[in-house]
Amino acid sequence: MKQLVTLFKKEMLEMARNFKWIWVPLTFVLIAVKEPLVLYYLPQIIDSLGGLPEGAVIELPVPSAGEALAASLSQFNTLGVLIIVLITMGTIAGERKSGVTELILVKPVSYAGFVTAKWSSSMMLIWFSYFLGYFLSWYYVGILFEFIPFADFLQSFFVYGIWLTLIITIVILLNTFIKSSGAVGFISIGIIIIATLLSTSLSHLLAWSPALLSAYTNTFIIGGNFPDELLPSIIVSVIAIMFSILASIAIFKRRELA
Amino acid sequence: MPVVSITGLKKRFKEQEVIKGLDFQLNEGKCIALLGANGAGKTTTLKMLAGLVKPDSGSIVYEGGEKADFRRFIGYLPQFPVFYEWMTGREFLEYAGQLAGLPKAEAKDRAKDLLELTGISEAKNRRIGKYSGGMKQRLGIAQAIIHRPRLVMLDEPVSALDPFGRREVLELLNRLKKETAILFSTHILNDAEEICDEILFLHGGELIESGTLAELRTRHQQAKIDLVFKANTAEYAEEISLLPPVSSMEVNGDSASFLVNDIEKARKIFLTEIAQRKWPLVKFEISRTSLEDVFMKVVKK
Ligand SMILES: Nc1ncnc2c1ncn2[C@@H]1O[C@H](COP(=O)(O)OP(=O)(O)OP(=O)(O)O)[C@@H](O)[C@H]1O
Ligand SMILES: [Mg+2]
Repeated sequence: MKQLVTLFKKEMLEMARNFKWIWVPLTFVLIAVKEPLVLYYLPQIIDSLGGLPEGAVIELPVPSAGEALAASLSQFNTLGVLIIVLITMGTIAGERKSGVTELILVKPVSYAGFVTAKWSSSMMLIWFSYFLGYFLSWYYVGILFEFIPFADFLQSFFVYGIWLTLIITIVILLNTFIKSSGAVGFISIGIIIIATLLSTSLSHLLAWSPALLSAYTNTFIIGGNFPDELLPSIIVSVIAIMFSILASIAIFKRRELA
Repeated sequence: MPVVSITGLKKRFKEQEVIKGLDFQLNEGKCIALLGANGAGKTTTLKMLAGLVKPDSGSIVYEGGEKADFRRFIGYLPQFPVFYEWMTGREFLEYAGQLAGLPKAEAKDRAKDLLELTGISEAKNRRIGKYSGGMKQRLGIAQAIIHRPRLVMLDEPVSALDPFGRREVLELLNRLKKETAILFSTHILNDAEEICDEILFLHGGELIESGTLAELRTRHQQAKIDLVFKANTAEYAEEISLLPPVSSMEVNGDSASFLVNDIEKARKIFLTEIAQRKWPLVKFEISRTSLEDVFMKVVKK
């Protein structure tokens, strides 16, 4: 336990030293807040650019508050996911490739602790950034459109967060047996895209798929209700997360570290 | 009870059998040098002992038995140690100490002492990314011994150092010998002779020779006579090499060396022959082959 704290503190310190604690939250805020702002000011923006011929009339439907917030979520689902993969894809693979693990893992370090520290520190950074971005987006939507009930915000925040957690966990899992962080990133993105495509095109068969959590959250924010398939989807996600963590530890223990 | 016993250790990488069956043991407080040329298998052996590479067969048994986490007892310095570049030297040592199970305060103390001992305390608050190669090597030694392991394994600890640094580190190892068993690899016999009791000579993944220095000397050292003539040393040497006590001959420029079986007899025969034939002898020297010569010969074969 004491060792886990030591390992965790090191991760935190590293993230502070390479400024991840600044630029990751900042990026999440930018990509989230951009949506309601752009949606709200779009008519003015088009006007000021003067891109329209004289006399042309554009009818921009005024988006609802829910649609504006959902737009932020869909940004998380593309850019946000990409950033998550980019910042976690080398967390173990990079250390192994550089060779530091040769010094660290010949100390009596618990393999479970090592993986757990990596996972929990990534979780902390990403959940913090995600919360900040999503919260500010919710706030601007409130100011510019209308306030969505805070409870609804929280619900959607946690439900979609489960999908992000699963992504973090999968990237960590790949990290335990692939030595090249580039390959980890590539495969992670591949898995996410395939899972999303399959689940959305076969949604009647794969209603329980974790990749649908974002679609379910969208429906909820726009229309007000989560579908019935939410629960199985959450259960499958949680099981997948736990399984991946255990698998990461088991694989990492067995790997040759050289 | 040996700190570690190794039996039948083997490792192959794809086609190539790199370690072909090693057996040896290391006793408490002893120092063994793993000597070998490039590619002999030193690093692979040490990595297996450190648990970084899995042997294909054979066993490595540490003092604590199979159940205990042997990593508690060992300290390891890789051939090319890599650190967290963003940490300072002090931070890294404290981190390593804590990971090895020292309480925070003790890790701090030890880190401070070791920074002094290895001579890098001036740089302790600088990022490791800005350290020179020699400083990293010293930091590497410090992290290997921070938890006072019972066995320290160092992969070529002095190869990256300048002559002064080399001297210092060898002296450091000499002091360290009193506290812990040491296994270190090198391709320089001199380093091995300086601090170690025992030498394992590794060549092509096999132990071709091992034992204490004294044993190796008596086993391998041969009497040698060096001759220098005023001119045409090679010609005279050719004729001398036909004399009975000579077992082999080597000419280097204008000096010739002869390995002989019986030094007394050889001296008599050599001197009489040379005197009789009135050859212009300039230098006559009796010496013994050094271990270095012996090993060079083995490697070249
Ligand atoms: N990961 C690996 N994959 C394939 N071959 C390897 C690997 N590691 C080492 N070898 C081979 O094993 C042999 C022994 O290598 P090793 O690094 O143990 O030698 P060494 O004695 O440490 O040499 P040096 O003095 O150059 O450090 C070499 O022929 C090398 O090519
Ligand atoms: Mg080597």
